[in-house]
Amino acid sequence: MKHVLHGEEIHIATGGRDFDPDGDVLVLLHGSGQNHLTWILQGRYLAHRGFSVLAPDFPAHGLSQGSPLDTIEAQASWVIGLLDSLDVAKATLVGHSQGVLVALEAAASYPDKVKSLVLIAGAMAIPVNDHLVSMSDTALSKAIGMMTSWGHGPDAHMYDNSMPGHSFLGYGKQIMQMNNRAALLADLNACNAYKNGEVAATSIAIPALCILAKKDKMTPLKFGKAMANAIKGAEVTVIEGAGHFLPGETPIAVNKALCGFLQR
Amino acid sequence: MSGDYKFDTLSLHAGHVPDPVHGSRAVPIHQTTSYVFQDSEHAAALYNMELGGHLYTRISNPTVAVLEQRVAALDGGVAATATASGMAATATALMTICSSGDHIVASSRMYGANINLLENTFPRFGINTSFVAPDDLDAIKAAIQPNTKVVFGEVIGNPGLDVMDVASVAGITAEAGIPLMLDCTFNTPWLMQPITFGANLIIHSLTKWMGGHGVAIGGAVVDGGNFNWGQNDKFPTIAGPHYAMNGINFHEEFGPAAFTAKFRAEGMYNFGPSLSPTNAFHILQGIETLPLRMQKHMDNTAVLLEFLCGHDAVAWVRHPTLTDHPSHELVKKMLPRGAGSIIAFGLKGGRDAGKAFIESVDLASHLANVGDAKTLVIHPASTTHSHISADAMKEGGLSEDMIRLSVGLEDVSDIIADFEQGFKAAARTIKA
Repeated sequence: MKHVLHGEEIHIATGGRDFDPDGDVLVLLHGSGQNHLTWILQGRYLAHRGFSVLAPDFPAHGLSQGSPLDTIEAQASWVIGLLDSLDVAKATLVGHSQGVLVALEAAASYPDKVKSLVLIAGAMAIPVNDHLVSMSDTALSKAIGMMTSWGHGPDAHMYDNSMPGHSFLGYGKQIMQMNNRAALLADLNACNAYKNGEVAATSIAIPALCILAKKDKMTPLKFGKAMANAIKGAEVTVIEGAGHFLPGETPIAVNKALCGFLQR
Repeated sequence: MSGDYKFDTLSLHAGHVPDPVHGSRAVPIHQTTSYVFQDSEHAAALYNMELGGHLYTRISNPTVAVLEQRVAALDGGVAATATASGMAATATALMTICSSGDHIVASSRMYGANINLLENTFPRFGINTSFVAPDDLDAIKAAIQPNTKVVFGEVIGNPGLDVMDVASVAGITAEAGIPLMLDCTFNTPWLMQPITFGANLIIHSLTKWMGGHGVAIGGAVVDGGNFNWGQNDKFPTIAGPHYAMNGINFHEEFGPAAFTAKFRAEGMYNFGPSLSPTNAFHILQGIETLPLRMQKHMDNTAVLLEFLCGHDAVAWVRHPTLTDHPSHELVKKMLPRGAGSIIAFGLKGGRDAGKAFIESVDLASHLANVGDAKTLVIHPASTTHSHISADAMKEGGLSEDMIRLSVGLEDVSDIIADFEQGFKAAARTIKA
């Protein structure tokens, strides 16, 4: 659906169902240089299992207008502003990668607005290689190619896809190419600059599930486990064989973990 | 691994990992019509496109999916869908894009069935086509109308071997806000990956060089994922609410794979142009050796071109790598590995000499296929293009005396020896 927030038209995928602000609201937060299509195999699935799904494109990403938000704190504030503008009292935040940082920050800064957390392929800090940051400015296609390659696990590199006929690497690159060309650089700088992850994680007192990938090269498993250890009572599911882009790589396992946690 | 796998590796592996139950290294043939659902919720999820997976072989099949994923990988697309033939891919792809009242701009120098589909069949459904020369950029641009929804051509035309300047035509279609769809049967992704030149949709007859052994008919459409279907209001059935599945918007829900989502949900579902799993297996076996075969095809083609160009019995020879071909300079940049293994030529003595040649060769087979491992010859005017009007033949640059040669993988000296005796037979018709 289209929505106007802070004067900018944004796109929000709702999983093919009308959004109900009084329902059990899930906000799916995409990662660096990604957009709502990260959640292609979660959005419709969850929306047809009793949840009110919001998978927004952050400004300058996907089908949203506007300029990229340059800090994690600003993105967290934007998410809460989105909930307010849609009259949502409280929501579960589901983050992937950079979206994990946004979810942590939002849960810590706006505890009254967040019901629970699902943190997928994340960590409390996501430092980014200087070379990749530079390439995202001066050689965007190469940066996209590098992230797509590193972000996918070994089966994805063999093009073994649960969506018949689809290419993880081809699709992953084109998703990123859809965005405003300033989006990736802003995202990577925001990740680099964010230092509040550990403080945020240790302050969280709501149910949390960490879904981590064993073959994750971008936010390696040990950092995901450290995040889980820092969040009081957090549950952990580790998915074998998957890389960083596990929502697309292993959707059945991710959805099983999600529903197991959310439907309690 | 330290990076993405390269072409030769993808030809062997892409789309498949050994199955976790039996460990089959080769791609298993899933000869089944249907698949047991885990429960009713799982069934509903598949029908509602909430998850990927197989529900009925008319829509998708695990063996066919390996082929699709391999072709998508080799062409650098976001997805591919395999079909029962190349023509099934072409017809279904165009019907995925166009509705009654829409218009197509197409090359006038294509495979006869492509021309026939656009010239005679689609008008019955209210879809009309303007034909233009594939190398006339101004004509292509001028032919685009407000209701034009796609430009369609062949990278290397069949059988006239005209070559399209893909990057330039892609620039024209991008400016017009419509996709460029190319039949890439003659080039295969080993010679050229047109998506990297800006093409948006790729059609293959997998029957030809991709399968390469003349044992299975099949086709595919590869989605480049590089066309924004929501940039204008020309594609309401892709970027607007679709009648199926509660008004799904493929552009919003599937992004770069919107075309493929609609092709499978509507095209495969309603038209049913499915590829059989066994044929997919045969074609996969062929693709495993695509790089090796294509190199040998190019090597033999180069030798035969030299032989034909220097032979007294030959009146003319056409191939895009020859210096007198109008696209020779373009070909050097666009197709550096070669311009395919089809050679068109005519014999002194015209149609009768050609007929005698085709009927007297022993090693080369006279049949209606190309891209086999074996050398093939045919006379297009009396066969593949016999249903095309004389004017269309002329417009397509086809002459009555043309012989189409599909160069095979035999020892090239044996092909030359076979042709020598064929030329002698042809010469006797002149003396008679």
